[in-house]
Amino acid sequence: MPDIQVIMADLGWPLAIALAWLSGEFLHRWTKLPRISVYGIVGFLLAQAFPAALSSGASSTVTTLANLAFGLILFEFGYRINLRWLRINPWIAVSGLAESAATFGVVYFIAYLTGMPSLTSLLLASLAMSTSPAGVLRVINEQNSSGQVTERVLHLVAINCVLAVFVFKVVVGFWVFQTSGSLPQAISHSLIELVVSAVMGAVMGFMVPALLRRLGALAQDGTVAFALGVVLLVAAAGAFDVSPVLATLTFGLAARHSRVAFSRTERNFGGIGELLTVLLFVFAVSTLEWERVVDGAGLGIVLLLARFLVKTASVALFAKVGGISWRKGVLTGVALAPMSVFVTLLLEQTKYMGIVLVDELAALAAMTLLLEVVGPIVTQRALIWANETQVREEK
Amino acid sequence: MPLEPFNTSQPLTMGVELELQLISLSDYDLTASSPDLLHLLGRKPFPGNVTPEITESMIEINSDVHTNHTELVAQLQLIRDTLVTAGEQLNIGICGGGTHPFQKWSDRKIFSKPRFKEVSELYGYLAKQFTIFGQHVHIGCANGDDALFLLHSLSRYVPHFIALSSSSPYVQGNDTLFNSARLNSVFAFPMSGRAPFVQNWAAFENEYFAKMEHTGVIKSMKDFYWDIRPKPEFGTIELRVCDTPLTVERAAALAVYLQSLCSYLLERREEAPAEDDYLVYNYNRFQACRFGLDGTLVHPKSYDSLSLREDILTTLRKMEPYGAKLGATAGLQHLMQVTHEGSDAHYLRQQFDRSGSAEGMVDAAIHRFRGR
Repeated sequence: MPDIQVIMADLGWPLAIALAWLSGEFLHRWTKLPRISVYGIVGFLLAQAFPAALSSGASSTVTTLANLAFGLILFEFGYRINLRWLRINPWIAVSGLAESAATFGVVYFIAYLTGMPSLTSLLLASLAMSTSPAGVLRVINEQNSSGQVTERVLHLVAINCVLAVFVFKVVVGFWVFQTSGSLPQAISHSLIELVVSAVMGAVMGFMVPALLRRLGALAQDGTVAFALGVVLLVAAAGAFDVSPVLATLTFGLAARHSRVAFSRTERNFGGIGELLTVLLFVFAVSTLEWERVVDGAGLGIVLLLARFLVKTASVALFAKVGGISWRKGVLTGVALAPMSVFVTLLLEQTKYMGIVLVDELAALAAMTLLLEVVGPIVTQRALIWANETQVREEK
Repeated sequence: MPLEPFNTSQPLTMGVELELQLISLSDYDLTASSPDLLHLLGRKPFPGNVTPEITESMIEINSDVHTNHTELVAQLQLIRDTLVTAGEQLNIGICGGGTHPFQKWSDRKIFSKPRFKEVSELYGYLAKQFTIFGQHVHIGCANGDDALFLLHSLSRYVPHFIALSSSSPYVQGNDTLFNSARLNSVFAFPMSGRAPFVQNWAAFENEYFAKMEHTGVIKSMKDFYWDIRPKPEFGTIELRVCDTPLTVERAAALAVYLQSLCSYLLERREEAPAEDDYLVYNYNRFQACRFGLDGTLVHPKSYDSLSLREDILTTLRKMEPYGAKLGATAGLQHLMQVTHEGSDAHYLRQQFDRSGSAEGMVDAAIHRFRGR
C-alpha cells in the first residue's frame, strides 16, 4: 500500500485540473459565469487544502506547461493584432499609453503613501499596468464576441502588456544592479532582452508560414505548426533567459501579417489548448497563500479600485475622438480588468533571479486572487452590455 | 392592406442598392460590426444612404436617383471612400462579393429590429443563411403597365446580369463550382423565382395581389423575393439577381446596362413577352449561375442554343446607340472588358490559387473594393 502522501503528490495536479474543469462546465451552464473564474476559485481552494499536492517549483513540469499554455494564448492574441490599425487610428495607441501611464502613476503613488519602499512600489505599479491577455482572450472566445469593445480591448491589452514587461524588467534590472549598477545599465540590459525576444518571435513568425507555403498546407490550417513554433519559442526563451511573453506575442503578430490561416475552428488551439488553459488558471492561484491574501486585502482592494477607475477613465477620455461612443469607451476601459495570469508568470520568472516578490507584496497576492475570479466576470459583463456577444436564440 | 397605387416616376432614371460585407481584419471572417460602423457614419452627412441589414455583419448602401453613368459612378465612389475611411478607423474591412467564402451561417447574429426578428423566427436557419450580398438596380417607369411590360421583357436578359455580376464561387470554405452560388440560397425561399405572367397593373393589383393577400401567405410586396419585382411606392422595377460586384465601378456599369436595355425594350421592337418565354427561364438562369460567361442559353422564342458570352456581346453592341443617348457608353465598355477578362468569380478563384487560402481571397476582395 503506497503512502497517501506519495499518491497525492503524483495525482495532485491531474485531479485538481479534472475537478476545476468539471466545476467550470457545471457552473458555466448554471450561472453563465466565465469558466476561467471557476478554475481560479477551485484552484485556490484546492491549493489551500492540499498545499503539498499542488506545489510547483521553477523547473517543475507544471510550471513548464503553464508557460506553454500562456505562450499558446499569447500567440493567438498576437495573431489578432493589426499594427496597421494602430497607425491609421492613432487614438488607440494614445489611449493605450495614457491608461498604462496613469495606472502606473496612481498605483505607485498609493503604494508609496502607505509606506511601501520605493522600489517595491515601482514593481507593483509596473505589474498593475498590465491586463491579462489570457483572461481577456478566453472570455472573448467563450462569448464569441465581436465589435469595437472587443477589438479595442485586444489592442489595448497588447500595448499595456508590452509596456508592463518593459518597465518591470527595467525595475528588476535596477534592483539587481542596485549595488553596482545604474539606471542606464538596467534600461539597456532590459532593452536588449526585449529586442532579442521580439526578434526570436519575428523570425519564427516568418519561418513557419514560409514552411507551410512550401508544404502547400496553407489551404488547410497551420495549427500544429504554430503550436510547435510556440513550444520551441517558450523553450528557447527559457534557455536564453529572455521574455517568452514577448517572443510568443511577436510570433503571433508576424504570422498574422504573413496572411496565414489560423482558422476559427482552432480558436484556443482546440481541445489541447482548452486543457492547458485549465492548468494555467489553476496554476496561477496555486502559488498564493491565504494568510498573505488576508494581510494584503485592504491595500489590495484600494489599489484594485484605483486601477479600475483610472483605466476606465483614461480609455473613455479618448473614445469620442477614436470613433466610438462614450458608452463603448467606458465599457472598453471596464473590460481591461483581468490581471492575474500575466502577473503570476512574470513573478515566476523573477524567482530564478532569487527575487521572491510575492513574499514582499501581500497586496499583490490579494489583487491576483481577486482579479483571477472577478476580472473575467467584469470583462464578460462589459462585452454583454456592449451588445457584442453572441445572442443565443431560444430553441 | 391593399396594394398601394403605382407611383409615376421619370422613366429610365436609376438607383443602385449594394449589400456589403463587414470583415474582421484579424481572421477575415465576417464580423458583427454594423452598429459601430453606423454610429461612426452617423456623425457626418452620408453621400446617399446607409442602413443595417438582417445580420450585423452586413450593411446596405443606396445611391440617390440618377439619370446617367457619370453622376452615378461619382456618387458610388464617394460612398465607397466614406465607408472605407470609417472602416479603417474601426479596423473593419469592407468588400463586395455575393457570398463570404468561409463564414459559418451558425455564427451570424440577427440585427435587432422587429422585422428581422420576425423573419428569423419564420425562416429559421434560412434567415442566417441569407447572409448573402446582392446588388439591386431600380429603373423608373411611367406607370404600372410599363413596369410589368419591362419586367417580363427583361426575363430573357436575366442570365446576362447573373453572369456579368457573378462573384460568389465559394460557400462555407469550398469551391461550389458555381459562379453565382448566392442565388441558390435565394431559391430556398418560398416566394422567390419569377413573377406571375400578368401584363397590366390593374389585373396585377386586383386579381393576383388581392388573391395572394387573401390566402394569408403574403402581407406586402416585401414578402416577394422575385428576380425582378415592381416597387409601386418608388414607381420602379427592381432587378435583384446580381451578386454585389467587387468594385463600385462594375455596379454602376451593370445599372446603366439595365437602363439602356429598358430604353431599347420600351420602343417595343422585340416580339412581345409571352408566358411560354418562361419555359426556358430556370434552365437559362441555372446555366448563368453555374457556368457564368461560359454558359449556354436557349433562346425563349426561337429555342436556338446560344453562347451566353456571345449573346451578351451582341446585345452590348446593339445597346451602343441607346447608351450614347443616355450617357452610358463608359459603363457598356466596362462590361465589354468583363466578357474578355472574366467575371469577379473568375478573379476570386485566381486569388485563391495565388494566395493558397480563402483568407487571402477575402483580403484581395477588400483591396479591390478600396480601389486604391
